Amino acid sequence: MKVYTGSGDRGKTSLFSGERIAKNDLRIDAYGDVDELNSILGGLIAGLPKALTSLTLELTRIQSDLLDVGAWLATTPGSSAEEMLTPFRPEKVAWLEAAIDRLDENLPPLKGFILPGGHPSGAQAHVARTVCRRAERHALKVADSPREGSVMVLLTYLNRLSDYLFVLARYCNHETGTAEALWETTRVKDAAT
Amino acid sequence: MTPAIFSAALLARRWLTETSIELRLERPKGFDFRPGQYIRLYHEVLERDYSLASGPDDPELRLVVRVFPQGRVSTFLSTVADGTQLSFHGPMGYFVFQASDRTPVFIATGTGVAPFVAMSRAGLKGYICLHGAKDHQGLLYRQDLEKNASRYVPCLTESATPDKSVFAGRVTAYLERLDTGRAYDFHLCGHQDMIHDAFGIIDDRFAESHIHSEVFY
Repeated sequence: MKVYTGSGDRGKTSLFSGERIAKNDLRIDAYGDVDELNSILGGLIAGLPKALTSLTLELTRIQSDLLDVGAWLATTPGSSAEEMLTPFRPEKVAWLEAAIDRLDENLPPLKGFILPGGHPSGAQAHVARTVCRRAERHALKVADSPREGSVMVLLTYLNRLSDYLFVLARYCNHETGTAEALWETTRVKDAAT
Repeated sequence: MTPAIFSAALLARRWLTETSIELRLERPKGFDFRPGQYIRLYHEVLERDYSLASGPDDPELRLVVRVFPQGRVSTFLSTVADGTQLSFHGPMGYFVFQASDRTPVFIATGTGVAPFVAMSRAGLKGYICLHGAKDHQGLLYRQDLEKNASRYVPCLTESATPDKSVFAGRVTAYLERLDTGRAYDFHLCGHQDMIHDAFGIIDDRFAESHIHSEVFY
């Protein structure tokens, strides 16, 4: 069974709703970013230390949610193909919020901007956060106006997910005993020296 | 529809050609599907996907199976006794008819006709059908496809005698002559090579058209 079909050799690809569009179309950017985010989460899961393997189930669930996000972004709004998609429900956003609250519960309060980094899992979560923001930006460009239904919910989900990933990064660093590096503004430092 | 596991007895089998069979299975209670979907059939540790060639209201389920000489599941299906219980998961798949204001075109080769037979038996009308085979005998379910088509074109690659009622050549060769004056919804089902070639032709000639495809391995 061949994985390659060759149907995209000339720079076009198919949406779930059947249209053939250029591979550099904005819609492809949007779900391509979601795919990238999903892959980064896969790498994060693969590299979790023993202290953090309890996160696996939660992160895997987010990966599944991102496949649903991708399916919606790959479908032209209002097309009959939408009937075949699983509705993207607000409960998914509520679930993320509960996860954020749980991870944040025992973290020390933020005292300033932190430099993205720390333990490899924490650093990877920051990378995921920035890719999530890019996915959100591109998804906003292709979302119809007015936004409603599943598209509205998935945009909210992507917004909340980047918050989750920020807290996740802090959580990974905290649980592995890795100190957070605070941003020290160089202007003030230079003035003092 | 969420796929579930079902068990159904084999009611009958008939050979359609030297290499393909039709299986009729009892229809389990609660099994609903959309024309174009398939089931995943299990035999020992193996699983194979087969499109349903039945209409959604038909009392039985029909499968069309290509029998490969070294194929463990297809050879089993070609000899298994009537009455044997077969297990399967389903319905699955997204290759269903999506209504639009574009002209539907069905392009099928070999056992790839199955989803289109289901769509025709569901009452879908007015499609153009390009039906590919080596010869007349290979035009499986011709009657089912032709009766509801606005244009039915048998495309034969090995037609022994000149026959004005058929197009001598592959479905893709006909596709290169299909009029470009309108937008189409192309539905492709069959061998991967045919689908790959068809995509290239459609991209070149029918920019405003949509494509839906299902590859049969």
